[in-house]
Amino acid sequence: MKKYDYIKRPKLLIMVLLFMTSATLVAQHTVKGVVTIAGTSETLPGVNIMVKNTNKGTTTDIDGHYVLEIVEQDPVLIFSYTGFKSQEIAVQGRTIINISMEEAVEMLEEFVVIGYGTVRKSDLTGAVSSVKADDIRKITSHNPAQALQGKVTGVQVTTTSGAPGAGIAVRIRGVGTFNNSSPIYVVDGVILDDISFLNAGDIQSMEVLKDASATAIYGSRGSNGVILITTARGTEQTTQPIITFNAEYGIQSLAKKIDLLNGKEFAIISNEIRPGSYNNVDAVPNTDWQDLVFRSAPLQNHQLTISGGSKNTSYYLGIGLLRQDGIIPKSRYQRLSIKLNNTYKLGEFITLGNNITLAPYQQQNAPNVTYSVYRAQPLLSPYYDDGSFGVVHNVGNPLADLHYSNNFNNGVRGVGNIFAEANILKNIRLKSSLGIDAAYNKATNFVPAYTVFNPDGTASQQDNPFNRLFKGQSENLSWLWENTLSYSLTYGKHQIDALAGYTMQHTSSEFVNLSGRDIIRDEKDFWYLGPVNIMDEISNMSNGVSADLFYSMISLLSRINYTYDNKYILTTTFRRDGSSKFAPSHRFSNFPSFALGWNIGNESFMQSLALISMLKIRASWGMIGNEKISYFDRFAMINSGLFAIFSNPDAAFPAATYGKSGNPDLRWETSTQTDIGLEIGLLNNRLTGEFDYYHRITDDILVELSTPGHLGNGQGQRVRYNAASVLNRGFEFNLRWREIKGDLSYSIGLLGTTIHNEVLEIGGSSGIDSVLLGGYLANGQAVTRSMVGLPIGAFYGYVTDGLFQNDNELAAYPHMSLARPGDLRFVDLNNDQVINGLDRSFIGSPIPKFILGFNLELGYKNFDLSLDLQAQTANKIFNGKDVVRPDPYNFEAYVFDRWTGEGTSDKVPRPSFGGYNYTPSDFFVQDGSFLRLRSLIIGYTLSETISGKLLLSSIRLYLKGSNLYTLTRYTGYTPEIGGYDVLSNGIDHGVYPISAVYSFGIHLQF
Amino acid sequence: MKKIPFIVVGILLLILSSCNDFLDINPQGVLTQEAFPLTAEDALLATNAVYATLRNWHYHSGGFPILDIMSDDAYKGSNHNDALNTVGPYDNFTITPTQDGLDRWWAALYEGIKRANVVIENLAEIAMEPDLKERYMAEAKFLRALYYFDLVRAWGAVPLVETTHPPLKLERSEAALIYTRVENDLLSAILALPEKSEYGSDELGRATKGAAKALLAKVYLFQHDYPKAAQYALEVINGSQFYDLEPNFLDANGEQGEHGVESVFEIGAIAIEGSFGNQYANTQGVRGTPNRGWGFNRPSEELRAAFEPDDPRLKATIIDLGDVIDGVTILGDGSTPDFIYDADGNIIERECYNRKVWISGENTSTQFGHNRRIIRFADVLLIAAEALNETNRPAEALTYLNRIRQRARNNDPNILPDINTLNKDELRNIILHERRVELALEGHRYWDLIRTGSAPTVLGPLGFKQGRDELLPIPQNEIDISQGTLTQNPNWN
Repeated sequence: MKKYDYIKRPKLLIMVLLFMTSATLVAQHTVKGVVTIAGTSETLPGVNIMVKNTNKGTTTDIDGHYVLEIVEQDPVLIFSYTGFKSQEIAVQGRTIINISMEEAVEMLEEFVVIGYGTVRKSDLTGAVSSVKADDIRKITSHNPAQALQGKVTGVQVTTTSGAPGAGIAVRIRGVGTFNNSSPIYVVDGVILDDISFLNAGDIQSMEVLKDASATAIYGSRGSNGVILITTARGTEQTTQPIITFNAEYGIQSLAKKIDLLNGKEFAIISNEIRPGSYNNVDAVPNTDWQDLVFRSAPLQNHQLTISGGSKNTSYYLGIGLLRQDGIIPKSRYQRLSIKLNNTYKLGEFITLGNNITLAPYQQQNAPNVTYSVYRAQPLLSPYYDDGSFGVVHNVGNPLADLHYSNNFNNGVRGVGNIFAEANILKNIRLKSSLGIDAAYNKATNFVPAYTVFNPDGTASQQDNPFNRLFKGQSENLSWLWENTLSYSLTYGKHQIDALAGYTMQHTSSEFVNLSGRDIIRDEKDFWYLGPVNIMDEISNMSNGVSADLFYSMISLLSRINYTYDNKYILTTTFRRDGSSKFAPSHRFSNFPSFALGWNIGNESFMQSLALISMLKIRASWGMIGNEKISYFDRFAMINSGLFAIFSNPDAAFPAATYGKSGNPDLRWETSTQTDIGLEIGLLNNRLTGEFDYYHRITDDILVELSTPGHLGNGQGQRVRYNAASVLNRGFEFNLRWREIKGDLSYSIGLLGTTIHNEVLEIGGSSGIDSVLLGGYLANGQAVTRSMVGLPIGAFYGYVTDGLFQNDNELAAYPHMSLARPGDLRFVDLNNDQVINGLDRSFIGSPIPKFILGFNLELGYKNFDLSLDLQAQTANKIFNGKDVVRPDPYNFEAYVFDRWTGEGTSDKVPRPSFGGYNYTPSDFFVQDGSFLRLRSLIIGYTLSETISGKLLLSSIRLYLKGSNLYTLTRYTGYTPEIGGYDVLSNGIDHGVYPISAVYSFGIHLQF
Repeated sequence: MKKIPFIVVGILLLILSSCNDFLDINPQGVLTQEAFPLTAEDALLATNAVYATLRNWHYHSGGFPILDIMSDDAYKGSNHNDALNTVGPYDNFTITPTQDGLDRWWAALYEGIKRANVVIENLAEIAMEPDLKERYMAEAKFLRALYYFDLVRAWGAVPLVETTHPPLKLERSEAALIYTRVENDLLSAILALPEKSEYGSDELGRATKGAAKALLAKVYLFQHDYPKAAQYALEVINGSQFYDLEPNFLDANGEQGEHGVESVFEIGAIAIEGSFGNQYANTQGVRGTPNRGWGFNRPSEELRAAFEPDDPRLKATIIDLGDVIDGVTILGDGSTPDFIYDADGNIIERECYNRKVWISGENTSTQFGHNRRIIRFADVLLIAAEALNETNRPAEALTYLNRIRQRARNNDPNILPDINTLNKDELRNIILHERRVELALEGHRYWDLIRTGSAPTVLGPLGFKQGRDELLPIPQNEIDISQGTLTQNPNWN
């Protein structure tokens, strides 16, 4: 066999080398062998082999071979592989250990990554969910966190926009604060706020830490949950490099159009509002602006990885290219990601390593034409006969907006760390890691001089008399130095793992903004600014250099994990954080947690119960913090951007004075979370289940509150106080059935989360407001109100009760002076016979009460299929884009079912171009429940004969569909309306639509 | 090799000992309040900042000219539906304590007071030229008085803040105490402020001795202390040769008269939206064509009728459709009816605009350059006339009243004859009327009706309720935030 020789030669060489080195190092001992599937001669690649109680290990190569070097006394090897029973095997001086792994629906001996270490899943006392590489790669997205959607209980991932490169909002176990509610990400030990730079293909596993036992080790930053990401590494002593190549090409298209009035319908409605507007409604043009703007757009994702290792080193190199064009022209995202992970051994005591990601990107942003497409009147033509852009009253011609838009973000993000590990004493390891997160971004926005003319030749409002150029540059540098000591001891039935650490972090960032006008030519080559371009006062106003982030942090951390007889587990963690964001007297805070676990399944009295193969209960309690506020907040600052105008002619003189008051008493937000969990495996772990109840109260939430006017802070100025509490509680379940029957293997997963979100306190003793307004629409109206007893960011407005059918009804019921027959009837909730602001009330919550995921994996011979469904219920959407109507705009199709006289409708009011009926009310609140077929993948792996002929070890072809179908009653593009700002969540302002994607891919392994 | 771990531990211990320095971080690019004002330059910056409040849109009665709208001189204006529920209720006295604008006005005035307090509280410690220091303090006191005068007139008893760090909860102080604060500030300012003529040309617009005296005269007038009102008004009229009436009435508020002889205190503004401009005039500017603003404060038919026959001040007060000003034809707003009639066909409202905020130009941003006159010499003359009449010196009163009428008649012997009556009650009404037409749409009328007790009679038909509308309601937000420390004005609950 040709192939055999090809592989064998380097292997021989390595073995010779190995033999030579091991002979010189007395303490070292080499074990090698082959792992096969029990009952067959088939070898098993990718099996994890760990030296027990160390972080050391390897995985089997493509032929199931492994080589491992051991320095420990009495080593025990742990062989584990998903879907197989793990085995612990004492080496006892052997140099060759061949084992066969039993295929079983057994996942309990899996190792789970936790903060600053790993733990056997059976020893885990916290609520931690893992997502493995295969699942992460299913979603083609620039942000790997998308892969968590519908895969992990307690996690809600919402795409805030369908624009290429746009952000996503991740919420773990509800919304715990009025501030930034996003979790933190820990990528190979580097703590980050965002992982959009990371290529999903480079990720080995993602762990979501949810309860206090798991997150408290991250102290002040763990309160919104922690997502741990481990990137792929090479395997030491592989016989040859493992090379994989994946190419994927897809087409994206608008998943759903919004049903709007066509030209004729709009003319009919216009005539009812303003009689005589259109003489012949059959002769008006009909422009479908959605068809004109949205397009099909390609999506490409390619990846090459090379990994392997020799005796003392391992390497992983991943190169990824993602290129996504938007379904709106002039939007695009392209990212090259380079991943390099290496490990080097320096003798027997010290290991060095690095994890480096470098991601240059180019992004083009389209103007927000979604809103203008929604508003543009359908009976206007996009172009005049001479081909120039036609006027679109009040909105602007979206095609012209796009044509003249040149908005780019180019930059590079580099994230990485270098680390050293040393065995300083028996059972004690010291690890030191220096992490860097550096980002540089360059924004360019150029709009040429242009005018869209009215039919009479005068300039319309869409008029840019001179060209404008904006240039912005930002840089961000964060470093993190972490030092940990870990101790591990097994003594009889006792096992102790302890960890202590000290970390320092500093973050700084800076912006440079410059804008100007009258660039001499419109071409890209001239997009630079000279003094003459920035002379005018209006351009000058936005020019400047400013700092954004500037803070540092110091932490001490520790954890003790104690297991007795594999049955009883105790975990305690403790972290003490100090942050420069708080004044010295409030600077440090402590974050403890305690957890207990009981592997009932390991008790002797359970052994007789054949049905139950595993049973564990666990409980945890702990306190975690949140410090995601501006570092400025505690300071009372000087406002120096003021001017006094004196002299004749008038001239400006600079002025400065006290700005708003600061709050030196700011403290950390603290969450107290309790979690009770049950893990069960039935029928030889074919059916596994995990159930959790969580209860999290966040106290001392940092909120910006109004201050009394007499303090002189000025209108609308707010000061941050620790002055609110929020409760999140709920139940999570995760059920999975797996079975392998001959050529058929399948698994079915069902997972669900309930969320009860409630504000417990706002303001209160501080003497400040007891409600927080938010969700501001384009016309300044606030449609959310957070108050005690309601969810965060609850919608607030009038309650409607049908329509006034005639003058008698109008006379009989209190109404606003503007109300006429055919208008909405607002309910007089307080029965004071007057309809005013006091009659507004809670009209829905943007937070779903129930999130559900369903996954099916199926393999039959060479075919594989995977299907992911995702659902959520009981959340509402505020159709904000429909409410704001300062001018005559097009309408959604429902308007055609309008009231036209007594009895014609009790739902849709008489048409109007704005005004009374567009007062924020429950009329605009829609059900946001949905069921979405998120992904469907069908793959086929070519037989080994074919791949072998091509000198490849495997070839898989697949078809993938994303967002193929959504069942919802919501009328907008997508019911997934997210937002970073928790007070403005679930309001559809007219977002960039999410697209459906059909792709084809090929995966090659050499 | 084995020593490396110990070296690392040693470094760690060193770092631990310096951790507090590591966490002591100052804000970048901004001063904190501990570090300002420290120098003479800082003192000037802080003093200038007290003036900056004058161009805060909210300083101007919350943004909208509600004082004229509440009076019989003007309607809400703009489109019918525009600000119907926010500004509209001021027009017919249906406002509530949550009414839009009240909190903005309140907050802006206290912001100005805080800025004044920054100067008054901190300058003593700064090493600088003593006279200049005194002048800065006096400027701040003048402006603090100006801000408190608005507060006390609008709300009566209000929290009295005399430091930069007042307590979070502060009760209202009696109106008399507020007035005492205002008087003391002005008396003190008068001592240290230069005359208008003593300032350099690039300091026009700063508070002057004359402005402080004129404001003090007005403060006494509002308290019915006529002898003192007369005293300080006459000091302005006679004490300096600088002040006079502009020969052309239009220049009293127009561009030609900026910082001119009639200007006692005015707010400088540059025709740029944003940091340099003043939105006060834009709010009232002609709506539609030319597009100069929002068109609030529509002159009423009653105001139109209040002018004596052929009084040239009518055309200098009201812009009608079809007028041509500075070469620009006023066409007005397409969606606003030109006339509104009652059932009998009489005009009850027509589209027209405030001429006094006009500034040459054809777009909205130029309108931001209007210099609002806070005190002009005509006002001082009329204060003197009123105070002299009340102190039984009618003959002297007539001198100042007729000086106003003489300028208004613009050498036309057939109009606006001199007033001769010495009857106190008759003269009181004539002076009040003269104030109305001379100072129309400049924000005086409503206060004049309140302080003279005429409001129930004049404004009653418009919805004014005696015993309630003499004062505005304390903004409900402020009461809520104070958790009951602030009480509401009578009959506003």
